[in-house]
Amino acid sequence: MNFDIAVAGNPNCGKTTIFNALTGAKQRVGNWPGVTVEKKSGHYNYSDLKFDVIDLPGTYSLAAFSAEETVVRQYLENDEADVVVNIIDASNLERNLFLTTQLIELGKPLVIVLNMMDMAQEKGLQIDADTLATLLGAPVVPVIGRTGEGIDLLKEKIFRVSTEVSNKARLIDIAYPRDIEVEIENLSQLIRKNDITDKHTRWTAIKLLESDKQTRDEVRAHSNELDILNQAKVSIDRIEGLFKDTGRAVLSHARYGFIQGALRECVVETVVDSVDHSRQIDRILTNRWLGLPIFGLFMWLMFKLTYDLGSIPMDWIDTGLVALMNFISGLLPDSMFASLLVDGVIGGVGAIAVFLPNIFILFFIIAVLEDTGYMARVAFIMDRIMHNIGLHGKAFIPMIMGFGCNVPAIMGTRILESRRDRILTVLINPFMSCSARLPVYVLVAGAFFPDNAATVIFSMYILGIVVAIASGKLFSQTILKGMSKPFVLELPPYQRPTLRSLSLHTWERGYLFIQKMGTVILVGSVIIWVLGYFPTDVEVDRNYSSEKNILVSHYDSQLVDLESKLNMSIEKDRLEYHSEMVEYESSASYLELYQQFQILKEALASERSRELYSLRQQEIGDITEQKWIGRVGKVFEPIVRPLGFTWRESVALITGFVAKEIVVSTYGVLFGVGEDVDEGSQGVISGLRSSGMTPLVALSFLVFTLLYTPCLATVAAIKRETGTWAYTFFSIGYSLALAYTLAFLVAYFGGKFNWLS
Amino acid sequence: MFNFKRPRHKLNKANENDLRLSDLKPGEKGRIIEIGGSENFRHRLIEMGITRDAEICVDKYAPLRDPMELIVKGYHLSLRGMDAQKIAVERLA
Repeated sequence: MNFDIAVAGNPNCGKTTIFNALTGAKQRVGNWPGVTVEKKSGHYNYSDLKFDVIDLPGTYSLAAFSAEETVVRQYLENDEADVVVNIIDASNLERNLFLTTQLIELGKPLVIVLNMMDMAQEKGLQIDADTLATLLGAPVVPVIGRTGEGIDLLKEKIFRVSTEVSNKARLIDIAYPRDIEVEIENLSQLIRKNDITDKHTRWTAIKLLESDKQTRDEVRAHSNELDILNQAKVSIDRIEGLFKDTGRAVLSHARYGFIQGALRECVVETVVDSVDHSRQIDRILTNRWLGLPIFGLFMWLMFKLTYDLGSIPMDWIDTGLVALMNFISGLLPDSMFASLLVDGVIGGVGAIAVFLPNIFILFFIIAVLEDTGYMARVAFIMDRIMHNIGLHGKAFIPMIMGFGCNVPAIMGTRILESRRDRILTVLINPFMSCSARLPVYVLVAGAFFPDNAATVIFSMYILGIVVAIASGKLFSQTILKGMSKPFVLELPPYQRPTLRSLSLHTWERGYLFIQKMGTVILVGSVIIWVLGYFPTDVEVDRNYSSEKNILVSHYDSQLVDLESKLNMSIEKDRLEYHSEMVEYESSASYLELYQQFQILKEALASERSRELYSLRQQEIGDITEQKWIGRVGKVFEPIVRPLGFTWRESVALITGFVAKEIVVSTYGVLFGVGEDVDEGSQGVISGLRSSGMTPLVALSFLVFTLLYTPCLATVAAIKRETGTWAYTFFSIGYSLALAYTLAFLVAYFGGKFNWLS
Repeated sequence: MFNFKRPRHKLNKANENDLRLSDLKPGEKGRIIEIGGSENFRHRLIEMGITRDAEICVDKYAPLRDPMELIVKGYHLSLRGMDAQKIAVERLA
């Protein structure tokens, strides 16, 4: 036998902490069907019974105002939750109890949890839990979620309420003013008479008085609906006439009236001279002068830590991968399968796996910002700017996350209330330059702008932000007209985060990235490998092996020449040597001569390997050109030629659609650098330089890479979050057109006015 | 002070010249008289505890002068000036 437990509560009430304390690590994260609201579930056992727990999204009310509220309401109204556990922030009782009044009216068995009792005490609040329980008609359990105090008692209470049969009768009614009660009774009688709903009658009646659309639609689906709707209209008119306000506003005020009455009976407020720590912290963090610089500093630190700290394990993973490749290469005979495994799978997935540490660190920092409560301050500080492009301050958060990876960032748009805001934020997010684009910048900027690489890379980030803001402005005035939802944002007290919840949050999001590696990137890498491997019988016009032989014998003979020159010089020098004290072979003049020739020899050797390498690259280039990958590139070459790109760039950009970091590994394949491709690789850099790419084309290529169609995983995320293919294709088309236009402008005007030459 | 270049929001009952929440300076307290604006906006605010007769205190303005931070029913809440302008208040000493 198992019971379904639903955990409900306001945002910031510590709901997730209690959920974690109840279920431990046995959690699953999914989506509510049809909407992009996270669904978290877990379970625990108590006295041989299994309790399945669902963590409902945090809501202030059951009004179906946002996607979250709709989800919570639908679940509680329709699903078979046996018990609703309502988490309440004890230090913020009055507002938290508003949701409780609605939960009571829903008529489900209820257990009320007074969380953060320690903070309430600090505030000087003495809460009489027993009296509150009597007033609300449901057990009240005081707990401290952060330390786990009271969780056992909570489990016991949930167990008792679940197994009690007669529980429903114990719930009390929220008492409204007499005039309202009369109308509720009028409606209830009609509803009962027509027997149209299996929900709590009183709940339906109250929702009708609030002109709740969902309830009206449900009633409309039944016979005799006219009677009820007419009665509802009469009742509403009467209430509005009496109270001079809408039914919903009157009922909300009455709920707060009930709450205030209850609090008078069970809360004693003593004046304590404790300080409001959050307010003290905010005096600095959201200070008029310091707020923005400190926020900037935090952002800088976030990126510093992500990249600097991440580079350490990055090297380990890199080393490990090379070792793995060598091990497998040694184990397997040189075959197609070995190449698929080493070059395709490990090479492709490995190129992305090295970013895992960066991504996990970034997600960890974001979890810290969220769990401490600073994210709400970010929205507070940045709202003025985001408002300019018709967005909510909170929309800045997914924008920042976009610097890490657009996939979780786009999923992060769920924190926004309105669908319009979410779609707008999703559409401009891909322009925030994600970490996958960085290797491309590092490589290309390093090859063509070695002295100004940092500036070039930084301007790509800035260009991305500018394009995002401009596009946001454009969309909000065209396809996504309308105002964003009113900005009503709670600034919750600062909290010390627990390591457990930080690691849970980090893992949940990081796991999505690992999933992406295992699916999209794996498939993409294999496809690219196939395109680059077949056909195997490629004929090249140039006779590379004879050219190589000529080159080798040329350098061999040069070396022989050099040796004989050295010997002649030494002989000549020896004849002129007259000292008796030191042997000629130890003399300064001999050593000097010998060293001179040694330098010449080394120069010759390095010239030889350079020439051979360049020849090898040309050969691989010629071969690749005839492989499928090259043929595909050739097909698209005419399209990208106005931008100054060759078939190589078109291949790199096509493969970059799978994941933008693959642009780098593709160049590696094109220039035959083989397994050890990394963004600093000299082989790719020399290959790029010798391929005829100019600094201007490189710049136009960078602009294109920044802006063009986001990677496959991002496209999938856009589809999932917007829910329609229309926006997904729009996003692809818009970014492609924008990338082409801007890259063309760079190439055209750059060429015309001789930039960079 | 904080000046919005848009017409003052019309309230149903309150006098055009009533004091608005957006007129209060940091540290000042007010009592809510009426909330204007769209139905959804009003209802949301009421559900969040900005009820008639509730005491509300302006804590501060954001670094870029908007939005503002308020204290109501013992918790901190942020509203934009343009929305706070839809709330008529009387100043409390």
